[in-house]
Amino acid sequence: MSAQKDCEFLVKRARDLVSEDPCAAKAWLITARTLYPTDFNIQHEMYTIERNAEKTASAGRLLYDMFINFPDQPVVWREITVITAALRSDCQDKQAQFLRGLFETLPGPVQCEVLLKATEQCFNTLEKAEMLLLLLRRFPESVVQHGVNLGDSLLEAETAEKLETPVNCFRKLFVCDVLPLIINNVDMRLPASLLLKYMLKAAEFYIGYVTRGPSADGQLQGKALNGSQEGGGMKSPSVSRGSQRYVIEGLSEKSSLVAEPWERLLDILAVVGARCEWQADKGQRGYVEMLQWVKELCCYLPSLEGETRSRCCSQVVICASLVLFRSAYLYVSAVQPALFHGVNALASGSWILLEDLSSVYSEVELERGAGKHAHKKRKLADGREKTMSSDDDEGMGKGRGRNIMVNKTEMPGWAETLESFRLARESWDLLQSHDSLGTEFNKICSSWKTDNWLWFRIFFTDMIIYQGHYRKALSSLLQMSGFQQPLPGQSSPGQGNLEHHRTLIQQASCHYALGEYRMACEKLLDVVGGLVPQNQDPVKNTDESGKDRNKPRKGNDLRLLPCTSKAILPFCLQLMFACFKLRAFTDSRDDLSLGHVVVLLQHDWPQGESLFLKAIDKICQQGSFQYENFFNYVTNIDMLEEFAYLRTTEGGRVQLELLPNQGMLIKNPSPALGGELNTLLLPGVQTTDRHHTVTRGITKGVKEDFRLAMERQVSRCGENLYTVLHRFCVNEKIIIIQSLP
Amino acid sequence: MCDMRQSLLRRDALSAAKEVLYHLDIYLSGQVQNSPSPSVDTTTLELVEEFILHRRMSALQELQLLEIMCSCFQEQSRDAVRQLIFSALFTLQGNQADESRMALLGKLVSMAIAVGRVPILECAATWLQRSHPVYCRRLARVLVDDYCSLLPGSMVPTLNNLSSSCPPFCCQFITAVTTLYDLSTEELTLPVQLLQMVVSWIRDHPRLVLITLLNTPPSSSQPIGSLDLTPLAGLVRWCVKAPLAYRRDGKQGLANGTTETELEAGPLFSELHLSVLQVLLLLPGILREKGLLGRLALLQPDQLTSLISDLSGDLEELNPLHSDTQTHIQLTLDRLAQALQVSMAAGALLCSREDLRALCSRLPHNNLLQLVMSGPVQQSGFYPHIHTPPLGYSPRPGPLGPHPSSHSPHTSFPSQPFLPSMAFPFRPSH
Repeated sequence: MSAQKDCEFLVKRARDLVSEDPCAAKAWLITARTLYPTDFNIQHEMYTIERNAEKTASAGRLLYDMFINFPDQPVVWREITVITAALRSDCQDKQAQFLRGLFETLPGPVQCEVLLKATEQCFNTLEKAEMLLLLLRRFPESVVQHGVNLGDSLLEAETAEKLETPVNCFRKLFVCDVLPLIINNVDMRLPASLLLKYMLKAAEFYIGYVTRGPSADGQLQGKALNGSQEGGGMKSPSVSRGSQRYVIEGLSEKSSLVAEPWERLLDILAVVGARCEWQADKGQRGYVEMLQWVKELCCYLPSLEGETRSRCCSQVVICASLVLFRSAYLYVSAVQPALFHGVNALASGSWILLEDLSSVYSEVELERGAGKHAHKKRKLADGREKTMSSDDDEGMGKGRGRNIMVNKTEMPGWAETLESFRLARESWDLLQSHDSLGTEFNKICSSWKTDNWLWFRIFFTDMIIYQGHYRKALSSLLQMSGFQQPLPGQSSPGQGNLEHHRTLIQQASCHYALGEYRMACEKLLDVVGGLVPQNQDPVKNTDESGKDRNKPRKGNDLRLLPCTSKAILPFCLQLMFACFKLRAFTDSRDDLSLGHVVVLLQHDWPQGESLFLKAIDKICQQGSFQYENFFNYVTNIDMLEEFAYLRTTEGGRVQLELLPNQGMLIKNPSPALGGELNTLLLPGVQTTDRHHTVTRGITKGVKEDFRLAMERQVSRCGENLYTVLHRFCVNEKIIIIQSLP
Repeated sequence: MCDMRQSLLRRDALSAAKEVLYHLDIYLSGQVQNSPSPSVDTTTLELVEEFILHRRMSALQELQLLEIMCSCFQEQSRDAVRQLIFSALFTLQGNQADESRMALLGKLVSMAIAVGRVPILECAATWLQRSHPVYCRRLARVLVDDYCSLLPGSMVPTLNNLSSSCPPFCCQFITAVTTLYDLSTEELTLPVQLLQMVVSWIRDHPRLVLITLLNTPPSSSQPIGSLDLTPLAGLVRWCVKAPLAYRRDGKQGLANGTTETELEAGPLFSELHLSVLQVLLLLPGILREKGLLGRLALLQPDQLTSLISDLSGDLEELNPLHSDTQTHIQLTLDRLAQALQVSMAAGALLCSREDLRALCSRLPHNNLLQLVMSGPVQQSGFYPHIHTPPLGYSPRPGPLGPHPSSHSPHTSFPSQPFLPSMAFPFRPSH
């Protein structure tokens, strides 16, 4: 008999007994161990029995013995691997909980050693890091020795794996798990440069995390919905995307989740700030207060020198950058919610920042002032506004105190959104206020590649529009349309078109602001071609966010407009009108422009009544007026009446050439309902009051064809005005553009 | 004192007894306060005997007296005074009063268990430590009769709680019952209820078995002829003999259907045996701390000798043709071998493997026993360093306690193996 045979015999007896009489089996093994205390199999068998019975305390004690006495046994290592895997996992099953409990029974130093040795055996960086993290969490004293190395190895792994996004498993582990341990450990002494580097890594991660795009399954969901809702009227409040799942590659769903990222970032900032000996604000908490504080600090910047100055610089740049990116994110998440994961994109669609043209029809006071129109009893509205023409030189001056109009009922969070926009702009301005700050900030931007952040470019573009840098805004928009196409979640036809329109409309708005009316019209007519006119008349926006409604607007206000056909078509009409308005009312005669203006004045009638009267006034002065499209697109009964009146003696016998092509009227009825309507309405027309009004004067010897055309036109009064104006934009696109220089 | 006796004589039995208890309380409190070695004088002892033990009382009066005594011990806040009162009442004096003393003690302790009077049970534990085993067994018998035979089952929670409320009493009680029931006859085979209670105590509090050892200062000497410091020897005897004893029990019970006892007792003994081995493994640390490692034999060779000779006798009585006999014999020998090996390793049994061979030479063959008698094969080569407290204890050559192995009837090299055909390939024992 050899010792090995003895041991095999003893273990075998125990094994045979264990199911029938576990106590006897254990008695055998206890005896065996006193005989052969150095035999591994005996102890392993003891451990196996306790482990299978899930006796935490006794199994833990035996595991401890094995770990101490047989540190080189592969079986022990396999077991330790299983246990540490359970420690790292989120799994809540009984086995995993038992294994975690088992680990807890080990004495602290042994836990420490187990984790360290287990770490040494890991070849996968992520696993190794998770293992080491278990160690650091349990044994804060080990942070001093391993913390920075672990952090560096994670950051190196990120580089080595050529990961494109900062929202990756290594960075997540570094920022959310390792970094707090390092910076909160009182025994750690780290140079400020390293702390700042870590701070920026954390900020890049959290910003990337918050602004990550919708995930794959979210996209599918979005697509299906977009498909069913043609034209982007994405208003269905019943659809929520809140339940989207998001997983960082290499991590579990649970550990991919980062709660309150902005708050965590602020926590890190507070600690790093204290460690870097930044100027502390008393009780400074929150991004808004932080911006105020660094603004104050900035005042002292010119008087500082050397290290104090560079320390102050870093503080201002980092704090202001974080406020900038956070506020810009908040703004863009309200304006373009579909860009982000987890933001409820369907509840509120996107919004476009444009020149505010809502009062364009009521403007009467033109460049050179307008003479009073004597005609009729109507009074001219008391307009004080001027159309705006702007260029980059004027821009800066305009950037101060511009109002941004928004419909409060359509955008419930308007106040917060505008406040975020303001904070972001102020942070930006602060960062540009000194060369040294700008340089530092640009370094951050280039290392984070913020140029590729679509969401930030959206903010940036809106900001420079606000500042009046329209030329810059146009080039920014051009760049944006470059990388907007492959944007995830927006490939569906409806949404995609509207997003594309977004850029075009903003471009149109900028061109208009620069006085480039032809370009503006080109862009907007591209947009209008793709819109579907809405049937109902637009509800007048009554609840507006203007700062002071009693104060007259300065004419350089902006407006946030929902990105829907319903809102965009009216805006396009206003914009087109604005482009022609100046031209139409100049001293030189331009009947085509004046005609377009008359057509467009129908929109939002009677807002533009006084301007219409001004046009009539001009026609009277001219003595004649030629606009061959008149009967195609003017269906407004008041206008028709006015033009009919012009031909009478009382009206001044104005010579109107409005129907060179009667055939066109007939050949080109409204494709959907115009033809039918004509015949349907004709008999009834005779009996209406309108008929009486319109025909006033016609009986006094006007030409028969004009009278007929007028009567026919009256029958079209029921036509949807938007359909008529939309057709005007589509059919007359070339003429419209050509009539602008 | 004479005056006091006169006045006591005029009282009725109960109030006189009450007066004596009151007197004891005052008198012994004074002793503890003023005297360096407090003791009870003869006069007081005589008063106790005359007015508490000898007075005839009705059952009701006796019950009232017990209640008074219970509260007397309960209310006494000083341990020393309480112990002295208990000693004055119940220390055996070797006179005819001892019978009534034992009777009253049995009733008092039984009542204290029922109502959970820990101070009385502590005093009883001390009493069990100091009194002769014969009386200890008598007290144990009373308690077993009261709790395990009269009221089986009904008191289980109360009894189970005892192991946490008063471990010293439980320890001494177990020691007493292991000497009471030696499993030699059916009469002396413990009731299953008692076994269940003991197993549950030790399962919940394994160290309970060692509490008397732990509480005893290393220098103090046990009174000659008192119970063991631990019940370990008795428990080993139980576990080793159980397979044979209950087998015999079962065989007899076949007719009246008590085979269930065997089924119930089997797993309990298996568990108890494991507990004993586990407790033995605790010993090296405790003994080393007390400086007694290798000097205090908790399992004494004469106890083993008598156990092994008992076994030999039992084995001869068994019918070797019965189907289960071999299984039971092997289980007995397995447990014996395990107990011997672990006791030796734990320093509870101080003898050499050669002594073991001599002791066990007449037993039938058993692989494990043979392995234990031969000892482990010495492993050549590198011995890894062991951090844990050494579990193996190598018996040192030298004095083997008060009972040299030469007393054993089987000291010499076995000349007559139990099975002559079987060779005993002994290896050197170290």
